[in-house]
Amino acid sequence: MRAMIIDDSRAMRSILRRIVTGLDFETTEAEHGQAALDQMNAGVVPDVCLVDWNMPVMDGYTFITQVRANPEWRDVTLMMVTTESEQRQIVRALAAGAHEYVIKPFTADAIEEKLELLGLLGADREVPA
Amino acid sequence: MTDPSAFASVSALVRRETSMVYDEGKEYLVEARLTPLANAKGLGLEEYVARLAFDAEERRKVIDALTINETSWFRDHTPYQAFTEAMLPALLEERSTTRRLRVWSAACSSGQEAYSIAMLLDQHLPGGWEYEIVCTDISTQMLERVRAGRYSQVEVNRGLPATSLVRYFTRVGREWEIADRLRERITVKHLNLAAPFPMLGTFDVIWLRNVLIYFDATTKADILRRMLPMLSPDGYLLLGSSETTLDLPADLAASWQRDQIGRVPAYRRASAMTLSRTGA
Amino acid sequence: MNVLTFFDTAPDEVDAPSVDDVQALAEDVWMALVGEDEVLVPRMVPPRTPFDATGVWSSSVTVSGGWAGVVTVELDEGVAQQLSARMLALPDDEPVTDGDIADAVGELVNMVGGNVKSLMPGPSVLSLPAVAAGRAAFASDVTEVCRLDLAWRGGPVRICIHVPS
Repeated sequence: MRAMIIDDSRAMRSILRRIVTGLDFETTEAEHGQAALDQMNAGVVPDVCLVDWNMPVMDGYTFITQVRANPEWRDVTLMMVTTESEQRQIVRALAAGAHEYVIKPFTADAIEEKLELLGLLGADREVPA
Repeated sequence: MTDPSAFASVSALVRRETSMVYDEGKEYLVEARLTPLANAKGLGLEEYVARLAFDAEERRKVIDALTINETSWFRDHTPYQAFTEAMLPALLEERSTTRRLRVWSAACSSGQEAYSIAMLLDQHLPGGWEYEIVCTDISTQMLERVRAGRYSQVEVNRGLPATSLVRYFTRVGREWEIADRLRERITVKHLNLAAPFPMLGTFDVIWLRNVLIYFDATTKADILRRMLPMLSPDGYLLLGSSETTLDLPADLAASWQRDQIGRVPAYRRASAMTLSRTGA
Repeated sequence: MNVLTFFDTAPDEVDAPSVDDVQALAEDVWMALVGEDEVLVPRMVPPRTPFDATGVWSSSVTVSGGWAGVVTVELDEGVAQQLSARMLALPDDEPVTDGDIADAVGELVNMVGGNVKSLMPGPSVLSLPAVAAGRAAFASDVTEVCRLDLAWRGGPVRICIHVPS
């Protein structure tokens, strides 16, 4: 399984990379939405994107709308990971096509459980207690 | 924590009150969560722990501090899946005249199990159906949390689909509050499983997850004996994912039958038709 | 008794989050960034004491829009270094550079500020974080509305919120 981590913060990319690598994902990274789209257009299409909202050049919300507008990328799962926690923001993101939403600060457990909900962790994995 | 007996006593308190297990390896967490409470009383940590035996209010604060953020929604997934995909369709058929379902969350803790069930029922019950979820626990403080229906930002990150978060919760400051229409379906009652049960009526599904393991064999059998008449003849009893066998004395074993629903063992009254036999 | 006092709201009710809320969010942020090994504990500091660590890093983000304010995090130098090494998973023998601290502490203040923003009236936007060596200084046209003094592994940490006067 491949995850793309899209966040302008090097520290956050580092933290998320460790969490998903620990869950047996291969990872690629991008600093903003446009860089992520460039990778995908070049053929590096992940199974799941972990996307921050506030980034320069292209923010996460716009990235999500762009991905959902492309039928070739219909199977890419989109999970927002952001400090934006207002109800209306979450509704907007989901309406734009995000499949899941994690509010920062999050724990590794939270990410793992969301990936599990999305069916992205191995089928015969032991379910966490 | 430097004093292992202080840790052991806190561990035992938590297990008694909430069924949560704090074993070796979690001393740092206990120390971190309790130090502010001890400081507030001007006491060292060991002294504070020693006084807990006499101070119900501080015990309450300790439980609160140790159990927040530790559980998740739709815990273990598979029982909720089995509930939606197998038990509920069967119950919808069997209750088509009364159009009413009653569920018991028998060690409800802060209510995440009960409200998870409520969300599923809200989604899957046809119009014109009613449901009630009775929540019981030995801890009055936990029952207050169920009544309040408020969960922290960290708690709602755990295992709750984002679509359910925005559909069933409203943000209040840093917390998220469950919708009134779900909260109204919950009845909260104090209950010690090891003591005689108050009159609660009968239930279609009893969730008794991850709590029997803390009772000895005799008490466990006694609880299950007293629960038998509380389950409707075609109802289901659900245990925790690691509680695979009931290990009962012969007479009681004859009253319960095990019905495997996918990966989930459910217990039925011996007279019930099993889902696996009916091919549902 | 003046009947109007019935309707007096506390002066800071709309202007800033409560100290309890900021404490809770700081604890959540810390736990998420460093795990549960060592937690933030409160520190008693008299009011109007400047941040008193010997070596200091400070950082801030600005919120503007529905609410305007500046969220500042000051850290003892040792705390900043350890936090950065932890967040970036730097090997023990590798020195922590200014760039490492700027990245890590920048994310810290971004997360604290983002959570403060979410507590206040919106919609609003968060600026990019600014990180500098040395303690924070505040212009005369802002007022402190919240201050939280904490310690991590014995090193001082201060979170404060200022709003335009």
